[in-house]
Amino acid sequence: MATLTLQSLGKSFGTTAAVTGVDLVVGDGELVCLLGPSGSGKSTVLRMVGGFEGPTAGRVLIDGQDVTHLPPERRPTSMMFQSHALWSHMTVAGNIGFGLRLRGLSRADVAQRVDAALDTVGLPGYGPRRTDQLSGGQAQRVALARSLVLEPKILLLDEPFASLDQHLRERLREEVRDLQKRLRITMVFVTHGQDEALALADRIVVMDRGRVQQADRPDRLYRAPATPFVAGFIGQMNLIAGEVAGGRFVQGAMVLAAPVADGPALLAVRPEALAVSFGTGAGRLHRVTDFGSHAVAEIDLPEGTRVKAHLPEAPDAAPGMPVTVTPRRHTLYRDDRVLWVSDTAPGAAPVAVDA
Amino acid sequence: MTDTATSGGAATGRPDASGRVTGLILVALPVAMVMTMIVWPIGLAILDTLWLPGPDGTGARFSVASYRFFFSDGYSLGNLWITIWTTAVSTAILMAIAIPLSIYLRFRTGRAAAVVQALAIFPLFVPSIILAYAFVRVLGPNGMVDIILANIGLPRIRSPYLTVWGPVIGFVWDNLPLTVVILLAGLSGVSTQAVEAARDVGAGRIATFRHIILPRIGPSILVAASFVVLGLFSAFTFPYLLGPAAPEMMGPFMQRTFGDVLDPVQARTQAVVTFLFCAAFGWFYVRSIAANRRRMAR
Ligand SMILES: Nc1ncnc2c1ncn2[C@@H]1O[C@H](COP(=O)(O)OP(=O)(O)OP(=O)(O)O)[C@@H](O)[C@H]1O
Ligand SMILES: [Mg+2]
Repeated sequence: MATLTLQSLGKSFGTTAAVTGVDLVVGDGELVCLLGPSGSGKSTVLRMVGGFEGPTAGRVLIDGQDVTHLPPERRPTSMMFQSHALWSHMTVAGNIGFGLRLRGLSRADVAQRVDAALDTVGLPGYGPRRTDQLSGGQAQRVALARSLVLEPKILLLDEPFASLDQHLRERLREEVRDLQKRLRITMVFVTHGQDEALALADRIVVMDRGRVQQADRPDRLYRAPATPFVAGFIGQMNLIAGEVAGGRFVQGAMVLAAPVADGPALLAVRPEALAVSFGTGAGRLHRVTDFGSHAVAEIDLPEGTRVKAHLPEAPDAAPGMPVTVTPRRHTLYRDDRVLWVSDTAPGAAPVAVDA
Repeated sequence: MTDTATSGGAATGRPDASGRVTGLILVALPVAMVMTMIVWPIGLAILDTLWLPGPDGTGARFSVASYRFFFSDGYSLGNLWITIWTTAVSTAILMAIAIPLSIYLRFRTGRAAAVVQALAIFPLFVPSIILAYAFVRVLGPNGMVDIILANIGLPRIRSPYLTVWGPVIGFVWDNLPLTVVILLAGLSGVSTQAVEAARDVGAGRIATFRHIILPRIGPSILVAASFVVLGLFSAFTFPYLLGPAAPEMMGPFMQRTFGDVLDPVQARTQAVVTFLFCAAFGWFYVRSIAANRRRMAR
């Protein structure tokens, strides 16, 4: 139980900047997910918190204490690795008890706490097993027990379930979530699956190219993405590049009210916020996919962008049919920042003129 | 057509039998080699040392006189002792250098590590006689170190050349590359994450080495040590070129007894004693490897 503070944390490997200017505060008992595409610097941030990588800029504070230059063995953190990293020459009990033995606990104390940890992760009686007699899921539970038994202030997890199948991954994810709530342990969880992040996190930190794009509650990330990257990364989003001139966003046949300064802009519309009418318009229906609960229409706009729109049911329309699309709710971005959100200006209903 | 089907069926029907035949063929060749090239000549040599002519020079009979001489002769025993001493000291120094060096090379990346690795492996490609010559030029009397020291006004070193330390330094230098290569192979089985996990639960460098790395590279250390020990026992070049004239290591001793003293029976006796030491070590080695296999397979 502790707070973690990262202050303009940065890491360069030679000339490549893996992480740049990361500022983040993780509250006591909070579960934060680092989410981002491959190579976005998630692991590097986590490894700097754990002490496995020295930052080239910034500081790491735990409970206000600067640990930037402490080695891993002297930090109150514990890390769970993607490949469980169990020591194959020790038994399960040997693995879990290793850290306790190093701390000079008596044999009886070690045994007792190892048993308690095995109970916590749902593997009672597995102590004498060899690590190669464990399934993938069991091995990860043992690794979790090995971390938990030391009662770390902060638990770090780097895609711990990535090598497991979908079903097991979901179950372990639930268990970790329950444990985290029960033990009230501060946790940083790295993943590149947005489902996992949405299911687990109190707060999600979206990273791209070594920078934090947005750190926010899951629902806020979806409803109010701060950058086009987040907009495209969380859920589905249609992104249409265009131009603002005279208070209007113009792209091909689409014209929307946009009371902002002139210049280039990026229009972002969720598929469920895109109204479609068939029969007239400059768009062309490409394909309709019926998912039962709803249908998705893919539409080619005249300037070449293909957008997706959710429909309550599959329309009776053939590919190639003329289509008009009208954003019901949209956001404009410029220079990676929000320029204009249609919802926030009541009365300024979007005007769509489809020539 | 039918033929292949039948033989295929037979093979799948008795996989043991066909596997056994293949196994026997695979084993037969090395066994034949060992028998003709090693066991047979060794047997002959042992026989020669135990089947001696009588005191009057006629009528060969069983006798342990040559061994009695070896083990009562102070000079022979001194030579055996210096061989054991040199082997033990060289192996210990070698491991003390090679283990930290290979751990460094395994867990560091970048230019510095690459340069160190190249330097450490380099002597592998240099014949030992050249190394011995380089040794004399650098550490010998009026060698490079001597001249540098003299030029900056410091007293000369006591050169290890022609002392018991000469061969030790030569051996360590010569065997370092192979030892490092073997240890690196063993260390490749220790994952970076396993080491990081140990650091994470609170193990410092020493504890990580003792509890995580050492148990995994124990067999490699044993293999490397065996190469060194067996090689040193029969070494010739370094003790001959760099070592003292007396006591001498078993290699030069045998050569001199055979070629200069012209006493082939005593030379063979020395060879058999050397062989028995190596065989004892080999037995220990095979047993440890087997024990380790059992532990791994358990
Ligand atoms: N030891 C290293 N040496 C050089 N570059 C590195 C090193 N570790 C990471 N990088 C680089 O830093 C960047 C960020 O890597 P990082 O492992 O943090 O990404 P990630 O977000 O965890 O990706 P993934 O989802 O694939 O695990 C990448 O471009 C990577 O190539
Ligand atoms: Mg990663």
